[in-house]
Amino acid sequence: MTPVVALYNIKGGVGKTSAAVNLAWTAAEQGARVLLWDLDPQGAASYLLRIKPKVRGGGSRLVRGKSDPAALLKGSDHERLDLLPADFSYRKMDLALDATKRPTRGLQRVIAPLAEQYDYVFLDCPPAISLASESVFAAADALLVPLIPTPLSLRTFEQLQRFVAQDVAGPRPRILAFFSMVDGRKALHRKIIDEVAASSDGCVLQAAIPAASDVEKMAIQRRALAGFAPRGRAVRAYEALWNELRPRL
Amino acid sequence: MDARGTQLLLPDGMSGSAAADRLAALVPVVTERAYSIDRTFWESFDGRLQRAGLALAEAGGRLVLIDAATHAEQAGAEHPRAARRLLLEDLPAGALRDRLAPILELRALTPVARVRSRLLPINVLDDLGKIVVRLRGEQSAALAAGAEKIALRPRLHVVGVRGYDVDFDRVLALLTRELGLQHAPRPVLDDAVEVLGRPVGGTSSKLRIALDRAERADRAAVTILRRLLDVIEANTPGALTDVDSEFLHDLRVAVRRSRALQRELRGVFAPEPLRVFRDGFRELQVLTGPTRDLDVQLLEFGELAAGLGDGAAADVAPLRRLLEQRLVAERRKMVAGLRSERTRALIRNWADYLDALAGAPEADRPDAARPIADVAAERIGAVYRRMVKIGRAIDDGSPHEALHDLRKKGKELRYLLEFFSSLYPPEVVKPMVSTLKGLQDVLGRFQDREVQADLLRAVGDEVAAMEGGSAALMAMGVLVERLAEQQQQARAEFAESFAQFAAKPQRRIVARTFG
Ligand SMILES: Nc1ncnc2c1ncn2[C@@H]1O[C@H](COP(=O)(O)OP(=O)(O)OP(=O)(O)O)[C@@H](O)[C@H]1O
Ligand SMILES: [Mg+2]
Repeated sequence: MTPVVALYNIKGGVGKTSAAVNLAWTAAEQGARVLLWDLDPQGAASYLLRIKPKVRGGGSRLVRGKSDPAALLKGSDHERLDLLPADFSYRKMDLALDATKRPTRGLQRVIAPLAEQYDYVFLDCPPAISLASESVFAAADALLVPLIPTPLSLRTFEQLQRFVAQDVAGPRPRILAFFSMVDGRKALHRKIIDEVAASSDGCVLQAAIPAASDVEKMAIQRRALAGFAPRGRAVRAYEALWNELRPRL
Repeated sequence: MDARGTQLLLPDGMSGSAAADRLAALVPVVTERAYSIDRTFWESFDGRLQRAGLALAEAGGRLVLIDAATHAEQAGAEHPRAARRLLLEDLPAGALRDRLAPILELRALTPVARVRSRLLPINVLDDLGKIVVRLRGEQSAALAAGAEKIALRPRLHVVGVRGYDVDFDRVLALLTRELGLQHAPRPVLDDAVEVLGRPVGGTSSKLRIALDRAERADRAAVTILRRLLDVIEANTPGALTDVDSEFLHDLRVAVRRSRALQRELRGVFAPEPLRVFRDGFRELQVLTGPTRDLDVQLLEFGELAAGLGDGAAADVAPLRRLLEQRLVAERRKMVAGLRSERTRALIRNWADYLDALAGAPEADRPDAARPIADVAAERIGAVYRRMVKIGRAIDDGSPHEALHDLRKKGKELRYLLEFFSSLYPPEVVKPMVSTLKGLQDVLGRFQDREVQADLLRAVGDEVAAMEGGSAALMAMGVLVERLAEQQQQARAEFAESFAQFAAKPQRRIVARTFG
């Protein structure tokens, strides 16, 4: 089965989209066929890949099985990376899913027929817990959670773990986290990372993404990092993250 | 992933970059750095990948199956060792092997061409600066023996990006209309194979003969026998070196078909030379028989052993070793025989004889000048009636030999129909072929199971003496029993399949068409 990895965090602005795009690109670069679904109505991942955030018929027809998802795919600038673009209508994804018979299966229904063409599927999720989130939990084999190393973000991560463990029915995704936007000069970041490393039960990955201006520049370049800063430390960090994650999928 | 794609030919003197420059005046393009690849293409002797619209390229230790027209990658795998031929079982388990399995079956892949290509990626961009069509200029050369390079016509690959079909159509229209580029009629590999002096699309063992009803029977016989001789000669090198088991199989089928025609159309040949050639072809059949039988045993071994269940399947390993040892010994004998002056003289003389036949005196060749449609009809009718007679005499008490005889005749009839079916109405031939096939399936199963069981019995003592022999012997006992059951089953099906073959309406049609 093709692993489905959802970049997920209740909090916004933690590096989900940056990770989704760069991890998907890295996987494609290593030879895998990869699908990225931009679930965020803001369409940041679509924007970064220079693909118009538009889905014919919108999200509602898609999750109701009325649109052929294969016909909506867009090839990226990487031959092995395709995108299912964002659409503004995804902001009402909750309602769209709620109108279906089995709301939590909505995303799965879209991914299933596509999955066999791909080796990995990534989901770039908008922030928030909602009906759409439950559908993400049902569709994903792994939730990959970017954490900014602050005490608060660790708490939210623990909440998420508890929530999934208690409130999600059926098969649950495994939950893995990595540190994002790490500033090595900040004592607090170093302290938190060291503490987690000592106490972690393996659900926080070793590889961390440093705070790097290259990542911010993606929005100007509108490319994955490999397309304009192929030798920078940020690219290498995403590669290390992917190499650590891949065997655990 | 699948995107549309096509290839265009670049006119003489227009390089990939020149095409890019001309296109740049019409749409935004970026040219990437050119690179070179050296690929070896692998193919089966009979060109199966080509027929499936595919090509298997090896480069940098990897095998990649591509769509021959678009070069889109379909599956890939590590290239196992430095093998000179690849059978399915040599490939690592995975997508490539799965994809090739139904196409290749038992055929081996061997290298057919080495191609060195200089590729220039040219990307067409949209208003966001995103790639919407990928172009690749290709300048290739086939590498002949002695490192000689033969330049091939340069091409431009046009590959669409998923979801950007409109752009693909637009760019393709520009290239064909504004730049006047023509579609490439065939993949570059075919060009390479041709300049290297190899048959494009491989070598087929099929007959593919068109005859004329009024044609002289001896000429028609020569046409068919010449083709069969070509098949024998084309398959001999591969049978000698055992590239795959199909070479020997195809060679033997061609020998058997030749013998059937020598016998059935004997009235077009002079008796004395014919006798010599028939003896020679019989020898050829005998010479190649044991190797083929062991090939089949070993090919079927896996299936046979699997029927035993997990534990016992391993028990029969000594049997497999024994069969392999025997195959080596038999093959050595066969190779010596095929290489012998005697065999070579037979082939040479037969070819000379066929060349001269149509002009030879006709006094002792009563059927020579008759229309082939008449002569063949007599033979088809006669063999059919003979089969009906043999079959009717078979009951539950008949010896096995009676069924074997019927099968032999059936093969003869099948060959006659293969040679001459084009001369008769399909509505007569088709049902005849299909009921004959049904009957032959049953008879074939009946005989094959017996042959297999006989072999197991015959090697029992030898296997028993090997390491792990007694466990193997027990497992073989189970196999023999199972084969006997299957043979019994086939026998039970005989009456029904024969009844269809010899049904009254069919007999009447045969009588009307073939006399
Ligand atoms: N490692 C990093 N170093 C520096 N800046 C980063 C890094 N990762 C992300 N950013 C920047 O932080 C901002 C938010 O990043 P991103 O869009 O990846 O997060 P997100 O979790 O997807 O946000 P949202 O919740 O809005 O979807 C962006 O401006 C991005 O360029
Ligand atoms: Mg985002």
